[in-house]
Amino acid sequence: MSTEFAMQIDPSYELIGARNVRVEIGGKLILDEINLKIGVGERVAIVGANGAGKTSLLRALSGTLPVASGEVILCTEPLSGLSRATIARSIAVVGADLVLPFATRADELVALGRLPHGRGPSGPTVHDRERAAAALERVGASHLAARDVRTLSAGEKQLIAIALGLAQETPILALDEPTVHLDLKHRVEIADLLVSLADRARTVVAIFHEIDMVRQLFPRVILMKSGRIVADGSPESVLTAARIADAWGIPQERAARL
Amino acid sequence: MTSPRLLVGGALLLSGVAVLAIGFGSVAIAPGDVVSILARQLFGVGEAAQGAGATSIVMELRLPRILAAILVGAALAVAGGAFQSLLRNPLADPYVLGTSSGAALGAAIAILLPIGGVAWELGGVQLAAFIGALASVALVWRVAGIGSGEERIASVLLVGYAVASLLAAALSLVMLASGANLRAIFSFLLGGLDGATWPRLAAAAFPLIAATTLLALRGRALAGFLLGDEAAQHLGVDVRRERRIAVALASLATAAAVALAGLIGFVGLVVPHLARLAVGPDPRAVLPLSAIGGALLLLLADTIARSIGVPVGVITALIGAPFLLWLLHRARTGYAL
Repeated sequence: MSTEFAMQIDPSYELIGARNVRVEIGGKLILDEINLKIGVGERVAIVGANGAGKTSLLRALSGTLPVASGEVILCTEPLSGLSRATIARSIAVVGADLVLPFATRADELVALGRLPHGRGPSGPTVHDRERAAAALERVGASHLAARDVRTLSAGEKQLIAIALGLAQETPILALDEPTVHLDLKHRVEIADLLVSLADRARTVVAIFHEIDMVRQLFPRVILMKSGRIVADGSPESVLTAARIADAWGIPQERAARL
Repeated sequence: MTSPRLLVGGALLLSGVAVLAIGFGSVAIAPGDVVSILARQLFGVGEAAQGAGATSIVMELRLPRILAAILVGAALAVAGGAFQSLLRNPLADPYVLGTSSGAALGAAIAILLPIGGVAWELGGVQLAAFIGALASVALVWRVAGIGSGEERIASVLLVGYAVASLLAAALSLVMLASGANLRAIFSFLLGGLDGATWPRLAAAAFPLIAATTLLALRGRALAGFLLGDEAAQHLGVDVRRERRIAVALASLATAAAVALAGLIGFVGLVVPHLARLAVGPDPRAVLPLSAIGGALLLLLADTIARSIGVPVGVITALIGAPFLLWLLHRARTGYAL
């Protein structure tokens, strides 16, 4: 594949880009002056207070939220010119929670990640099932394959959701609060998994609330406030007491102890 | 069992049951004779060993009815399964967008109209039911904004319910005013394949077969909807386009089925759930299997219905309702639904 080849030889390959992106919903400004560039193999955390525009940013970058002006770039091409299937082969988005209307085995669900790679009425194919099984194994959830997803715990569901994203086999894995509602053990497991997933073949972009975990796990942090990116860089440069105090609206002396 | 094997097995079973059902009736015809009559009449194979009477019963009376049962059952089950996946609601059925009330109102009005003539007798009521069904879907589509990208599942269901209630009220008024025609309206509401003659079957066959087949082959797009609209987009589904296509095809199939056979309940609700119990929730497997299962269920129910002389809608409800209760009971006790 030419895309993979370009990614391997060129570190400046623009995997995700945003140029002066502005998003409005019902006349209300949601995102403004968004400029960023994310390269191959990066591990990026998006942080900020509730309502700062983190999820909207992920949605704009994955094409589910239309931009009012500016341009989003995905794998060096303008996102606006790409089909949904092409986008789905480039970026997998792991959403907040899995709610299913019918009894669904975990392996059946993860096999849906293969949808953008196939055509025609039949499927999932044997190959799809194998890729789904491999994705389940990668997140350490093979033992859950035959379980009804609706009966799983929040932590188990999160693993299945990440496996679904992995089965999509995209260069970018985006996650919206992957550790929310989880206990410490599952948080650590998922954090370690995200670190191990990001490499030269896969870029990880995740919305995170836990500042301490962001400091440890993510070499790059994007801080958002009121729909804008207010800081973008290493955890040391972005997560200063002054910036945390400003972004979350807490006293600076309290922020210094976070 | 894998879904291709189930499909092949189901198709073979359906063929066998169809041959038995053609032979079944007040004049019994042996399965072997049915096969040789069909082979000779349809494919020109074999000798004319059976009497003209048996041939006429098979070709003129029973075959169109059996084909109608198969096509209508398949259409209702596929449409129901598609609506359940699309709306992410296990209780959705083919009539969820008001199709049944629209068809009933259209048929009732046509029955009351003082129009006669051969052409009208041939299919005036059916045509009116078809138009009524599509009109109610069009109304729900417009009010709920299907395909606009802004619609919510709950509001689609509620608008469908509201439109159905409105049309049902209008139907009640028409029935109150119908006088001597009440029985004809009532028999349409109960559903049945008594009127499935060759001309009516021919008129309904194209939308029935085309819409059902196209819908059964759209499982890939519908599979994305299992996790919701946003997730469907992330899985590469053009949500607005696919929703329009699926609603249009499912409504067309349902309208044609209702026009041919009246209101037949439970096939479209229960059969897709049976298919899911066998092959999981992926519509790529569920929809083709539902087509076979729906055809089989309606064919069996219609054969029972004609042997004891009650409308087939009563039989499907008698089989379907207890089955649904059993499914719901299992849903509370373990892996089901």
